[in-house]
Amino acid sequence: MTSLLSVKNLSVFYGASAQAVENVSFEVSPGKVTALLGANGAGKSSIMKAVGGLIPARGEIIFDGAPISHFPVRERVRRGIVYVPERREIVGELSVRENLVLGGYQISAAERRNRIALVLDLFPEIASKVDRGAWRLSGGEQQMLAIGRGLMSGPRLLLLDEPSLGLAPLLVRRVFERLGAIRSAGELAIVLVEQNLRMTMRLCDELHFLRSGRIVGHKRADELKDETARQQAVDAYLGATESEPRLETA
Amino acid sequence: MSAAYHILLDIFPLLWSGLITGCLYALGALGLVMIFKSSRVVNFSHGNVAGLAAFLIYGFSSGTLLTLSWSAAVLMAVVAVIAIAFLSYAIVAPIMAKSDLTATIATLSLGLIAQGVTLLVFGADIVPLDLPLPRFSASLLGLRITGYDLTVLAVAVATIVGLFLVIDYTKLGVAFRAISANPIAAEICGLNLRSVHLFAWTVSAVLGVIGALLIVPTTFLSVTTVATFMLQAFAAAVLGGFSSLPGALVGGIAIGILMNLFTFYVSPEFTNTFLLVVILVALNVFPNGIFASTGGTRV
Ligand SMILES: Nc1ncnc2c1ncn2[C@@H]1O[C@H](COP(=O)(O)OP(=O)(O)OP(=O)(O)O)[C@@H](O)[C@H]1O
Ligand SMILES: [Mg+2]
Repeated sequence: MTSLLSVKNLSVFYGASAQAVENVSFEVSPGKVTALLGANGAGKSSIMKAVGGLIPARGEIIFDGAPISHFPVRERVRRGIVYVPERREIVGELSVRENLVLGGYQISAAERRNRIALVLDLFPEIASKVDRGAWRLSGGEQQMLAIGRGLMSGPRLLLLDEPSLGLAPLLVRRVFERLGAIRSAGELAIVLVEQNLRMTMRLCDELHFLRSGRIVGHKRADELKDETARQQAVDAYLGATESEPRLETA
Repeated sequence: MSAAYHILLDIFPLLWSGLITGCLYALGALGLVMIFKSSRVVNFSHGNVAGLAAFLIYGFSSGTLLTLSWSAAVLMAVVAVIAIAFLSYAIVAPIMAKSDLTATIATLSLGLIAQGVTLLVFGADIVPLDLPLPRFSASLLGLRITGYDLTVLAVAVATIVGLFLVIDYTKLGVAFRAISANPIAAEICGLNLRSVHLFAWTVSAVLGVIGALLIVPTTFLSVTTVATFMLQAFAAAVLGGFSSLPGALVGGIAIGILMNLFTFYVSPEFTNTFLLVVILVALNVFPNGIFASTGGTRV
């Protein structure tokens, strides 16, 4: 199977000397979920932003057979890559519906209406609040809106940066249920950054382990079925002592 | 007749004419706020560019440059200011990316250039610029309402309502509000920030021309007329918090009325001083403007 996204020797610098990502390479197959795991500051968000076009980067990014490194964000969105950021970046001043309109800015009005209906079907929690100011949503609802907004343009690759951040466990489970539903529809590939390894394991097909800006290990999800294997991989790649408390393995 | 009756007789015309000029300040202030909200730049060239536009209308219709009909001259001037807006944005945008403050200072020099061009082409003399206004005058409750008043009111209301409808109910309006509130979110969604900025700069320029055209008949046209007028628009924008469109509207009308009352009851010489005092008080009492925006503010 040819890959949908192929990242080759990606490097990200902040300023002249601070290198956040160093020669990272990985592939994402169509419809598959790839997880990036690593401690705080390992460079996960930097990789996602670089693929989304939000920060400059060195190296090759091939999407659907075409190099896209030189494209601005909007062209990448048009081609089907959407970044759902770490802190959600909901526009509180807009209504829920207007946030969705923003996500589908480049598609036709008719298509936009259809996709808004689809997203509201997927997230009934926000459907009843669609004409309210987005600032009035709870944290979990905001995360759903962020994901829904990401789906508006009909992407083929979703870059999901810590969707569980700051959510109560019950809400985390609900968000991941929805992601599972999206995933089983089959068409959408996801690169997932998560601290919650247990939830990640339910969803992902492949895992890459990151440490100080480098990929130090790779596993298929079926290799990590049991908890011991999982813990071993985390210890081996991310370092038993350094393994940060937030990475929930159980 | 009681004293109260006399005060009322005085005050109605003052309020009325304050409302009329206030509408014009509001048009100017809305333009400043449009640019500030979207680009985080205070456009100090606003007045001088609008002034240049007024001179262009004069030049295109009087025979100084061309001999066009009044409406053709207005159209050409609007095209010219839109071109200037694009050019200004092209110059300011790269600076904006580095520092909003430097970009704001750059607009000062753009304003001086516009003023220089005006002087160079039209000289320092006062020129007449009339509007083809309906000759009309009526009395109502001791008010004398003229064709000029009604024209200003009609044009201002139509323009402002139109603008608010676009901002509140169109996709472009959503983009404008998104970019003002959270440019990162807008970028993530694949918006072309530049084209939304240009929309704001263009609308602002056109609002400036409309304001300039309507203010000139009350005075005369010199190199500084419109720039001085924009000073009050600036005050209106500050009063409204500088990043609220309804605030700019209310601020404009408030400034128009306050200045009128002050001129009449206190002193015409110190009106500008009074204006500055109003701004300072407003900034202290309402640091975020009379329309301090909460998370839920629409426009
Ligand atoms: N805007 C920035 N300017 C300078 N350095 C940055 C910037 N953003 C990130 N960094 C640095 O780059 C490195 C990688 O950051 P990044 O946000 O990609 O990590 P992360 O793996 O997403 O971490 P977290 O789990 O905390 O979200 C860190 O050392 C961070 O300090
Ligand atoms: Mg991160």
